[in-house]
Amino acid sequence: MVNDEGQLYTIEGVAAALIMLLTAYLIVGATSMYTPGDAHISDMQLEVLGSDALTMMDIPPNGTVTASPLQQIIENDSYGGGQFRVMFMNYTNVSGYGPKHDIQFSANYTYRVPADATLMSVNINSSRYLTGGEHAIRVTKWVIVNKKLPPDTGVLGRRAVLVEVLLWRD
Amino acid sequence: MSDETGNLSIDFLVGFTIFLIAFIWVASMISGIMVGLQSSHIDYDAVAYRTGVILAEDPGWPASPPWEFYGDGQKYEISRFGFATSKDSPGILSQDKLNRFFCSSFIYPDDYQSRAIFGDFPYQFNISVIDVETRKGQSVGGILPDGYGYIRRLVKIKGSSNASIGLAYIIAHKYNNTAIPSDLNVTHHEFSILINNTKLQTQMRNPTYQIDPSREQIMINITDLRSTIVPGYNSPSISNYSKLVNISLTSINVYKWDGGALSMVRTFNTPYIDGNSSVTAPPCIVSDNISLVINPRVFDIMQAGYSQVYFNLTFDLKTGIPPKSVNSSFLNNTFSKPFDYNYDPANVTQPRLRDAVVEVAVW
Amino acid sequence: MARLNDDAQWIILMGFLVSFSLFFLALIINQSTVVGQTTAESVIEFPKNDIRDISQVIKEHAGNNGTINDPVYQDIIALSIQRKGAVVNYTLNTVYTRGPLTTDMRNYSLIHYNNGVTTYNENWTSY
Repeated sequence: MVNDEGQLYTIEGVAAALIMLLTAYLIVGATSMYTPGDAHISDMQLEVLGSDALTMMDIPPNGTVTASPLQQIIENDSYGGGQFRVMFMNYTNVSGYGPKHDIQFSANYTYRVPADATLMSVNINSSRYLTGGEHAIRVTKWVIVNKKLPPDTGVLGRRAVLVEVLLWRD
Repeated sequence: MSDETGNLSIDFLVGFTIFLIAFIWVASMISGIMVGLQSSHIDYDAVAYRTGVILAEDPGWPASPPWEFYGDGQKYEISRFGFATSKDSPGILSQDKLNRFFCSSFIYPDDYQSRAIFGDFPYQFNISVIDVETRKGQSVGGILPDGYGYIRRLVKIKGSSNASIGLAYIIAHKYNNTAIPSDLNVTHHEFSILINNTKLQTQMRNPTYQIDPSREQIMINITDLRSTIVPGYNSPSISNYSKLVNISLTSINVYKWDGGALSMVRTFNTPYIDGNSSVTAPPCIVSDNISLVINPRVFDIMQAGYSQVYFNLTFDLKTGIPPKSVNSSFLNNTFSKPFDYNYDPANVTQPRLRDAVVEVAVW
Repeated sequence: MARLNDDAQWIILMGFLVSFSLFFLALIINQSTVVGQTTAESVIEFPKNDIRDISQVIKEHAGNNGTINDPVYQDIIALSIQRKGAVVNYTLNTVYTRGPLTTDMRNYSLIHYNNGVTTYNENWTSY
């Protein structure tokens, strides 16, 4: 007649089912939330801003003038540095409705010395002296200039230089 | 009998199960302590960056004919917004596209979500463009909250080109009927404007500085019409006479130079007369000035993006009741050259680049 | 004492087996999100502005009637590898297309860029 022999299977079955269901619920709830933070966002935003600023400086103001402001800055060492600083700071520190930044920079241009195939760097300008503790990112721009690059003593001709700017937030 | 070694009792089982459940729960809680962000929050800067790139570096789709000249009824054919003048000029924005984007016929957030933000998650956003020179900005979207993802792009806005034909210009270029034997011999006048797309495209290849009527709107303003009616208009008696003359713009015909022959393709029926805010179709009476605002669709319908196109305005001068024809020199370049919409700054105000900032905030 | 039937404890054991394996898999998935690349890292890593810039300067060089092995060419190759860590190589040719009335001269260039992670090749003809 009625005995309790089969009930062991039922209880065990129910217990096993509960364990599995509970574990599955915990796991589904646990894995979907954990996404690590993105620490490089501010670097990316700064790099985009610096790249944009250099690109804007390399656009001639209208169709008849062929030299862009950046080209003129490099071709003219005497006033170029000051003009670079004014233009670049205007571009990077402009603000719309968003946050205001305090961005510092250090700019130079690098060119090749044909005689011994080395590279030389000329400082354009900087807003602060680099101490080494800044978390800086680098943006670059290629410019073709009509300039005699020392120690070259040959004919004036076109050369390509790489403008490099280190940017950091104060 | 059966062997009991190795068997666990039910009490033990229940206890063990409860212990294990508690253990798993605690183990999962520990890993939760170490990480901060939710998955939708982490995305804000990335979505803002993507939208910034789409708006600042892409011309949108459809690009030709440009999406900004689609009417409100066709806004569902616009699949993507973009401000750039063309694919080859990223960072140079077109004023026409900016005006259309901020037009109130697009509804925040739905219209913008499917055409600029993309994705299934209903982000809130704010897109703004500020002109650095004038410090004036336009924006669409919500008010910025405390935490949001953000990108700022530096761009240049390419203004539109336009031409103004006033009295001084008309006299300098002899746009009045100066046929011998008499200046005042003619009652019917034609003024012709040439838009030479072939030359416009080949003379300036760089889309940053190019005047491209098939992609940008152009405007031609003809002013001081009344003062050209009779020469020597400064004389009081003659100027009184000129007040009684009715200038009738009978038609604006559009001709296209196609395969060596000039043929009339259509009429242009949307000039702005005398500074009215809506168009008046010819034939109509003009008091002093006419504005032709020529939309890229005009060139697209004629398939004249690379051809020479002439806009011929025909005028009749009449006075009195019943109207009698009036002889005058007026505005007429039948014997001189058509007005050439070209890259000469003396003829056409060239498109000007001005600095601007595009900001996208997403939350 | 009467012993209860313990034969069905294998069900519980199977239940435990499934639970433990699920837990183990969840741990692996949890750890995998940490080693992935964040969005900002992939944006910085992809050289979009570098490629646009080098492509533009090469086209400018072509427009200035440049030739292979002239100073600008040497500058670009040397500076690119030494300061940008990218191998750049390009050809410069002129193509003549003869029409019924004119002979059009166009500049033509094959540009190659490789910074170790991204390779870019472009076949460009001027207008």
